[in-house]
Amino acid sequence: MQRYLLTRVVQSLFLLLGVLIVVFFLVRLTGDPTSLMVAKEAPAEQREAFREAMGFNRPLIVQFLDFGAGILRGDFGDSLHFRQPALELILERLPATFYLATVALLLAIVIAITIGIIGGSNPGSAIDSLGRALGLFGQTIPNFWLALILILIFAVNLGWFPSFGRDTSISVVLPAVALGFGSMGQLVRLTRSAVLEIRNEDYIRTARSKGISQFKIGARHVFRNASLALVSVISIQYSYLLGGSIYIETIFSWPGLGNLLQQAVDGRDFPLVQAIAFFISFFVIALTLLTDVAYALIDPRIRYSS
Amino acid sequence: MVVKEEVEVIKEVEKEVIQTVEVVKEVEVEKIVEVEAPDVPKGELIVSVSTFPNSIYMPNAAERNASNVANQIWEGLTWVNDDGEVVPALAESWEISEDGTEYTFKLREGVLFHDGTPFTAKDVVASWEAGKDPSNAYAYNAEKAKAVEVIDDYTVKMTTEAPDPLFLRSTLSKDWAMIPAAYYEEVGLEGIEKNPVGTGPFKLIEWVKGDRIALEAFEDYWDEGLPKVAKLTFRPIPEEATRIAAVQTGEIHIANRLPADEAQRLLGVENVKVVRYPSDRVYYISFNNLTSGIGTPIEDKLVRQAFNYAIDREAIIDALFNGYADLSTGYITPGNLGYDASIEPYPYDPDKAKELLAEAGYPDGFEIGMACPTGAYTNFEQVCEAVGGYLNDVGITFEGGEIQFMESGQYWDLEANKELPPLFGDSWSTTDGEAYNRLQGALGADASYAAWNTAELQDYIDRIGSTVDDVERGKLYSELHKIMYDDPPFVYLYEPNTFEAINTAVQNYKPRAAEDYFLKEVFIAGAE
Amino acid sequence: MTAATPQVGFDEFEEQTWQKRLAYVGRLLQRDRGGMLGFILFILIVLTAIFAPVIAPHDPLKQNLRAAKQPPAWQEGGSWEQPLGTDTLGRDMLSRIIFGTRVSLTVGFFGVLIAGTLGMVSGLVAGYVGGRVDGAIMGVVNIFLAIPYLVFVVVVAAILGRNLLNVILIFGITDSPIFARVTRGEVLRIRESGYVESAVSAGASTGRILFDHILPNLIGPLITLATFEMSAMIFYEAGLSFLGLSVPPSVPSWGNMLQVGRQYLTIYPWIATWPGVAIAITALTFNLLGDWLRDVLDPRLRRSRK
Repeated sequence: MQRYLLTRVVQSLFLLLGVLIVVFFLVRLTGDPTSLMVAKEAPAEQREAFREAMGFNRPLIVQFLDFGAGILRGDFGDSLHFRQPALELILERLPATFYLATVALLLAIVIAITIGIIGGSNPGSAIDSLGRALGLFGQTIPNFWLALILILIFAVNLGWFPSFGRDTSISVVLPAVALGFGSMGQLVRLTRSAVLEIRNEDYIRTARSKGISQFKIGARHVFRNASLALVSVISIQYSYLLGGSIYIETIFSWPGLGNLLQQAVDGRDFPLVQAIAFFISFFVIALTLLTDVAYALIDPRIRYSS
Repeated sequence: MVVKEEVEVIKEVEKEVIQTVEVVKEVEVEKIVEVEAPDVPKGELIVSVSTFPNSIYMPNAAERNASNVANQIWEGLTWVNDDGEVVPALAESWEISEDGTEYTFKLREGVLFHDGTPFTAKDVVASWEAGKDPSNAYAYNAEKAKAVEVIDDYTVKMTTEAPDPLFLRSTLSKDWAMIPAAYYEEVGLEGIEKNPVGTGPFKLIEWVKGDRIALEAFEDYWDEGLPKVAKLTFRPIPEEATRIAAVQTGEIHIANRLPADEAQRLLGVENVKVVRYPSDRVYYISFNNLTSGIGTPIEDKLVRQAFNYAIDREAIIDALFNGYADLSTGYITPGNLGYDASIEPYPYDPDKAKELLAEAGYPDGFEIGMACPTGAYTNFEQVCEAVGGYLNDVGITFEGGEIQFMESGQYWDLEANKELPPLFGDSWSTTDGEAYNRLQGALGADASYAAWNTAELQDYIDRIGSTVDDVERGKLYSELHKIMYDDPPFVYLYEPNTFEAINTAVQNYKPRAAEDYFLKEVFIAGAE
Repeated sequence: MTAATPQVGFDEFEEQTWQKRLAYVGRLLQRDRGGMLGFILFILIVLTAIFAPVIAPHDPLKQNLRAAKQPPAWQEGGSWEQPLGTDTLGRDMLSRIIFGTRVSLTVGFFGVLIAGTLGMVSGLVAGYVGGRVDGAIMGVVNIFLAIPYLVFVVVVAAILGRNLLNVILIFGITDSPIFARVTRGEVLRIRESGYVESAVSAGASTGRILFDHILPNLIGPLITLATFEMSAMIFYEAGLSFLGLSVPPSVPSWGNMLQVGRQYLTIYPWIATWPGVAIAITALTFNLLGDWLRDVLDPRLRRSRK
């Protein structure tokens, strides 16, 4: 187990290095952000002076080495747009994004698993139809569209929730629903088919004949049998939510990383794009690592096969 | 003078928009009569900004949203009042030398910075030096002064290279931020960016990036009795639909930059009034005679006139701006110094366009390259598509089969290197009340973004840039307006209107054509 | 995940004549209402795309600004000349929706083709050759999986410009790691089954093993994955349009139409509604089809459903 862990950690570190290299050169390929930052009226000399001051005129490899050395010191460079260390900006925004993604996922899990188990245990019932509908619509309604509709109905017409920002404790509800809707659909489908699959197994029939409630049976056996699949889907969904919150955060003006990425991309804020891409990749890699470890703990066979 | 006319336009227009909903109008009139401004700052004013301000230090504030926050914190030596006149601010008076290059300012005494230190001559020098730092996006504004010297504690002398008609009106009123010298020495530019200390009516409490910029009234502000609100909060909300929702729910008081169609929907909403004002930004399709356009048919004046006749700009304005934009007649707009109101916009006349093309030797039209930016301006992609359709109608086709759309960053890179095709769309705003910067930037011989230049235009630009007398300069502008209409370097499109939605409790809010906010006189009816 | 079984279903299927095969597919469809619906919709969508110029009442690019923003025929002010109304430039919504089918299917089909080919080849090589080659390929695949795809999109859009081909390329490249992973997983599973080993000991060449034993077993899972990924790409295209990074505005893609209509959501709702409905229906179609294919082509699932 320790050996396995060590190998996976080392692998992850190399992965991170690869990400760093790819992101750096990709971002650099887009050209020089001077035109976006210096006023249109500025004379040519000022454009040059600016380029010089920002170090855009140095050879790429020098810029890369500088960047790499910085990271080892925990310095991701300064955001061009905000004139502030990129790391500082990211750390400021990170909690909001984690919070939103976590609430969205928890909401999705709780609703999806409840509906999935009840529906799956009673195929054809109203709840089952709801589950099937959720499963389909979750993957067919664009989340930014849903976000706009949610604002119109629940903020403007009903006045139940704020329309933007993160001012009160209920501010998270609308963005979390919009963000988690797709995941909810996926999880409902997964849970439902897991329940259906084991429904007719002998031990379930036995349990049912003993008078154990449908839901309890479903819950217990689904978790035992489908926990591996669930762990992996949840981890995938979580990293998707972390990286995919860009539309939702923009619409709800949620002070998170997605919002920041949208701006950084818009303004070709190199250091910031790099740093955000790096951080999101870091979390995705860390999540994968954790999932793999969880897998190895749940099912020891996996360790040997990989 | 000139800007005053515009403020009136604003009011007229405002009535016109509101008239469509009677109730809103009545309620509003009653409130204006009843409500009086409070003696002490009261209540919180919440204003949306449509982008995330990059910096609230003036020489770095990248665009209007950022500078509008900065306007509340910093001040210049002069100010342009609501009537468009240059009036004293941190300088009480000034004298200009005979040759127009030496300015001697007498500074206002008793002005305090937010950190309690008094404002004196050495602070002006420090502000100039800080502004010149090449890492500032607008460093060239500070460089407009060649030297800044302390004469005594309350007297400063500045020298410019040549007479500069906009020095008092623009440079010193809004482009420089006066910072405390001692504080600058202590914390440097980075510290100023992070914890701004100015002399303005509001001081920064906290800036939660991506969430809010919270300011509070500065109790020792030199202009007695101002500001009127105790707290002023800016909320960045990039999504238009969300800004509209938030002003309806009362979460914000002023929703800026709304699309024309959606703003109409707010007319029926209680507690919200809609204001509209023309903004000083010209949208155009530029021709190029410096690089890519050399040797193409557009060098011919008749062809360029034909293009101006070929496009149904009224239909574009109706379809995409709900009718709320003004037809452009040139680079000098109705609010600008020297605007010639007798010049009528080019009418839509495709037959005339075809005639002119035939006369120029292109009866069947021709093929030419055209490009437009995406993600840069409201609906501009669609405007370009429409323009393309109208040009096709008179026989103009595009290289590669269609207009090239490019992401704005890449687009402006190419534009600054004069590498765009011979036809390209863009826009240019000014906040000066006159068009000099726009003219120099888009047509000047040494300007990065210029794609068109002729000796005649250059001569006018040079003369305008060195004529300090307003009347004389106004005449030059008028002549240039006519010349640029007859021999157009651009297809003039439109000058859009800005729509804002405002909570009816907000009083004394006076928007300006340049979208500049000065909120020290605004108050909230019934604020406790 | 657990014990692997060699597939036999597909091989049997291969041996029959085409009439019998067709009848077989028909029987399979009859058994599954969702699959039937998906299949019918799929055929309709493909036909719409192919015959777009014949079906569409107008030229989708023909502007008439004087007749812009007309509502659908059944609303006040609408006309049957433009049954679904017109957009902001007075173009016929119905014709644009019909032609949009072409764009979406092109993006989906070629995106998946590129992703599938790239992913399958690299997954096959990684899984079959194993060892260091496997390590290297999966390293690259994991790097690409960890980087937020938006970073790629922005960079490619900025360097190569916005056009249909580039959007397809972006999707093809960023989506290929998923295909690589699935392929590799399947190859490993088949190899471990002992079924390949016996072929090797019987003296079969590498080519024969790949084409006779491994590829046929890959087709099922890959086709299923491709169907879901096509639906995802149609979705991504809409998301890219939201950020203004998809095909040029002049192309009548559903994403572009939705993006333009978004700002008129409450006042001219039809401009955004129709492309939204089109995206939802198409995504639904591919999801239904994918579900059905998974049931039919994956014998493990089929067994458990009996």
